[in-house]
Formats: sequence, C-alpha cells, structure tokens
Amino acid sequence: MQNTLSPERSREGQAAQTLRVKPKWHMTVLHIVYYLVMIAFLVFYMLPFWGAVVSSFKSNTEAISTSPIALPQQFSMEGYSGAMDLLAVSLLNSFVVTVFGAAGSVFLGSICAYALGKWKFKMNNLFFIALVAATYLPFQAILIPLLNNVTNFGLYDNIWGIVLAHAIFGMPMCTTMMRGYYAEVPDALIRQAMVDGNGMWQIYWKIVIPNTKLATVTTFVFQCTSIWNEMLFALILAAQGESANAPLATIVLNGFVGSTGVEINQLMAGSMILALPMLMIYIFMGKYLISGQMSGAVTAS
Amino acid sequence: MAAITIKDMSVSYNKGKTFVLDRLNLAIKDGEFCVFLGPSGCGKSTAMYSIAGLLEPYAGEIYFDDTKMTEMEKGKKKTFVPPQERNIAMVFQEYALYPNMTVRENMGFSLKTKKVPKEEIDKLVMEQAEKLELTELLDRRIAQLSGGQRQRVALGRALVRSPQVFLLDEPLGNLDAKLRDQVRYELKKIQKELNITTVYVTHDQTEAMTMADHIVLLNGGNIMQEGTPNELYDHPANEFVAGFLGTPQINIFPCDVKQENGDLILDAGSFRLHAPEQVKASLAAYVGKQVDLGIRPSDFELAKEGVNGIPARVDSIEPLGDAFLIYVRVGEKVVVFKYAGEHAPAEKDLLLTPNMLKLHLFDPQTQNRIND
Repeated sequence: MQNTLSPERSREGQAAQTLRVKPKWHMTVLHIVYYLVMIAFLVFYMLPFWGAVVSSFKSNTEAISTSPIALPQQFSMEGYSGAMDLLAVSLLNSFVVTVFGAAGSVFLGSICAYALGKWKFKMNNLFFIALVAATYLPFQAILIPLLNNVTNFGLYDNIWGIVLAHAIFGMPMCTTMMRGYYAEVPDALIRQAMVDGNGMWQIYWKIVIPNTKLATVTTFVFQCTSIWNEMLFALILAAQGESANAPLATIVLNGFVGSTGVEINQLMAGSMILALPMLMIYIFMGKYLISGQMSGAVTAS
Repeated sequence: MAAITIKDMSVSYNKGKTFVLDRLNLAIKDGEFCVFLGPSGCGKSTAMYSIAGLLEPYAGEIYFDDTKMTEMEKGKKKTFVPPQERNIAMVFQEYALYPNMTVRENMGFSLKTKKVPKEEIDKLVMEQAEKLELTELLDRRIAQLSGGQRQRVALGRALVRSPQVFLLDEPLGNLDAKLRDQVRYELKKIQKELNITTVYVTHDQTEAMTMADHIVLLNGGNIMQEGTPNELYDHPANEFVAGFLGTPQINIFPCDVKQENGDLILDAGSFRLHAPEQVKASLAAYVGKQVDLGIRPSDFELAKEGVNGIPARVDSIEPLGDAFLIYVRVGEKVVVFKYAGEHAPAEKDLLLTPNMLKLHLFDPQTQNRIND
C-alpha cells in the first residue's frame, strides 16, 4: 500500500494526520483539565447558593435536621411566607431608598460629568481630582459627621435621610462613570448645537442626555445594585428594632439571626427574596449593560 | 446678512506666548462668498471659529455690520456675544447631525430653539428639503443616510434659518470627487440666490478658485494675499501664493540678472531670456543679483522655428484628455508644462518659449513679488 503512494501524497497524508489527530489529543487533555478546574470552582462557588435555595423550600425542622445541600423531602413555602411577613415593610423601604438614591446620584453625577467632560472652567481638574478621591473614600471615615449632619437636618431614622446620603455619596462614582461616556459625545455636536442657538443647559437636555441614554441606564443599574445591597448607611442612619421608622431589608434580614435561635428556612427564603430583584435586572438588562460599557453609544457620523 | 469686519485679531492657545493668528485684519463684504484657503495648521479654521464665537481670540475685534460681536484685550473679554446669539449657521466637516433626531427634526432644531411656530417650521423645512431633494428622507434617522445625503441635510439645516452669516468648515471634505463637484456647483448657486455672506474654509485650491468671490490665503497665521481668484492667480504677491495656487505647481528658476549692451538678461544657467519691457523697471534694482523666475506650466509653448527657445529634454508625458502634461528636463531641473495640442510631440528634444507677458519675478530673500 505504502509503495503505491507517491512521496508527496504520503507526506501530505502524514501532515493531514498530524493536523487532525495530534492536536486533537493535545486539546482533549487540555479541555478535560479546563473543565475539571471550572467544575471545581463552580461547585465551590455555587454550593452555598444551592444550599440556600434548597433550604428555603424546607420546613424549619427539616432544614435543621437534614444536610443543607440535600433536596427537600417535603416541599414547603413556609419559609417564604414567614420571611415575607417580616420583610414586607422593609422591602418597600429598600425599594424607595434604592430608586430615589440611585436616581439622585445619577442626576447629580450626570450634571457634574457634563460640566467636567464637555466644558472647561477654572480649576476643573481640581474638581475632578477631588471627585475621584471621593470615590475611593472609605465611608467608615465619615460616619460620625454624617450622622451628625443627618440628625441636624431632622432626618435621622427617616428613609429620606438615607436617600439623601446615598444620592450624595453615590455622586462621585456616577460622575467618574458618566464623564467617560459624555467625553465620547463629539465636540462638533456641541458646537453645532451652540450655533443653532442653544446654551449650555439646553445642549445638555436636548443633545447630550438623549444621545447617552445607555450611559444613564448603566450607571443607574450600577447604583441600584450597590444601594440595594448596602448595610452601613442603613445601620447607622436609622434606628434599629421594633420601633424603627425606616428599617431596610438588608438590616431586617440580618435581624433574622435572633438571640433565641434561627429559623434557617426563613433566613434562606429572605435571602432569596432580597437577591431576586438584582438578579432580574442583570438578566434582563445584561445586554444593555455590556454594550453600554463597551461604547458611549453615540457617534455623530 | 451682514458684512464681517475683523480688526487686529490675534488668537493664542497658550495665553499669549505664541500666536496661531497674528493681528489679522479683514473685511468681508455683505453677500460675499469668501474662502479662507491655506495648508493645514495655517489658522483658517481658527479664524472661522473666532467669527462664530466658538473661540475667544486673545486680542482684537470682530463686527457684523456695525454690531460689535467680539472685543478682546490681552485675553480679557470686553464684549463677547455667545455663538447662540450671533445668528450664524455653520456646517462642519463631520456634519455633526444630531443622531437622536430625524432629518426633519435636525433641520427644524434651530428654529424650534428660537420658538418659531410649528406650522412655520414645517413650511420652511419643506421648502428647503425640496430644494435639496430631501423630501423623501425627512422621516429617516441620521444613521440611515449615506454620506452625500448627510451632507445635504447639514447644508439644509444651515440654510433653513436664513442666518446673517453662513460658515462652512471644509464641508465637502468627506464626499467623493463626483459628488463634490455637484455639491460645489449647487452650493455656489444657493449662495448667490440667497445672497448670504459666506465664509468657507478649505485647503483645496480648486474649490477656492471655483467658488470664491474673495480668497483669503493664509499661511502660518498671516494673510499671504487676499483678492479675487484671478488676482491671486495672475498676480501672486509672493512665492508661497504662486506655488499654492495652480496645478501643476508653478516652475521656479533662480536667475542671475545681467546687463548686456543696455539690455537686461535673466540668466538661469541652462537658458537666457531677454527681460521684456514691462518688467525692466522693476528689475533695474536687481542687476548683478539673483531673482526667482516663476513660469506657470500653462504659460509655455513649443518654440516656433527660428526662435531662440529654452532647450528641454522630454522625461515623461501624462495625457489629460484635452491636453498633455509634459515633464521635461531643463539643465538639471525638472520642469512641467501643459501642452494643449492634439498629439503629444514625438521628439525627445524640444524648444520651449515662455509667455513673456506672464512672467512672475520674486525676490529670493523676501519671497515677495518684484514685477507689477
């Protein structure tokens, strides 16, 4: 057989074989290694989550007596109804704080970002540096003066106090994010709008905002997630316990671990309820968030 | 519609250390089509932005008719009307159409800003759209338009509002050659119809020559020469102007000026010319010195028999269709001339005679024109 093949053919055949077989063997081993590593990480990462999901559907006795990762023997919504009873008010509070806090910081950040990104004024760089520095400010450092101020405004233990704090302390982050997007709005567009008879703020409303919708959405969602999951301001700026006026969901959930013991199924169900809204946002908006991060969403020509 | 007057305007991007424009003085008449021409970085766009008010000069004054628009003194504002109050329309090279609006909204935007009633905006937009053949595109978004269509929308948007001054910053730069010729013609026609004072910035001398009533040729922040296209072409004030206008470029020969038997001779080494009568007076001061002799490619012809011409050896021939560009060597120098005959000359060695009435003489030091 070998002899009937011309030298070229046989060499070609060998080459083809090398191409087909050898790398495949090579790649298969690599792939197996990749998958093993990925599965190991996945299990490590997802196991607690899995435990929380299955436990939330167990009755409390079952949750205590069985393995935390075992499937429920009896499917039960007991945990969810209990958690909802306890969380109802605080979820609403959290919702208000998140929406208004994020909206406030996006609004303030957007204005700052526009001024810093598109206009030159005296000491604009100084302002920007100060804002960037503020982004990295650890909140623990300013808690006491913040508490003092909020109390002086008469907003202690009031959800609007927490909204105010979030709106203001979220602003530097929003500014830094949005400045990047606004910088991508072409200068020619701004000049054209000026020539067309518009002042600085008209240009902002009519040209910059409509052309950077994705930037606004992205920043808003980003702020929502961080405010929704936040505990520090919620803990410091509102009273705790039964008499609290402005309990937020994160704090109330934390209180599930009481002095008398833990209703594990309730705690897990509560965690699920709290995680759900942000999960939904990311599932439905993920596409926009990614494209929003990739581009400023506008090009003039 | 307004005349534009610029007095002693200087523009600096570093607070007066160096100047992009240095004490510019300029008067643009009402209804005139004025072209700012020059190589990139010469300050032509800067001058236009200053007129628009998009840029604050370091010093100087700008008037629209008698209204003072800008008055600056050493970087300090004395009078400054912001661009939105100058009633100007501008077309940028990158068109700068608003991506969030339809063609109709783009065209009506400036009128809407001025709070013109809706019916009137619709009417004006419709009128202008018909002129520019944009009627079918009115409800499209900008992203759905081709380059040429975008260009027309940008133009239409500027024209819709009958501005005092119309400013165009290289508006044809992004179009292909054919479309550019067409838009150039239409633009000029519209400008004449509406009689709007227009400032047009370009680095393309063909655009400048074909469209302008008034060319301002800039280089390095200074006006090299201004005037009608023909004035600049026929009487370039210096070597820069002579070289910038006209394709192919003017041929420059350094010559010694000699006096022989009461006659003035221009001696280029490889050839000698008797200076014609009309330049003798201006050449008198240069006897024994050098001058630069400029001859445009179209001002050469083949010497008739018996005439003492410039000996030239053909290097290459480029047919243009209606004429030929012939590259020849005169001595060591490559010279180009435009030959209007039907067939390119077959000989390798030619004798050329320049049109003695169209010689351009320049001082080699100052580069300024010597003859009238």
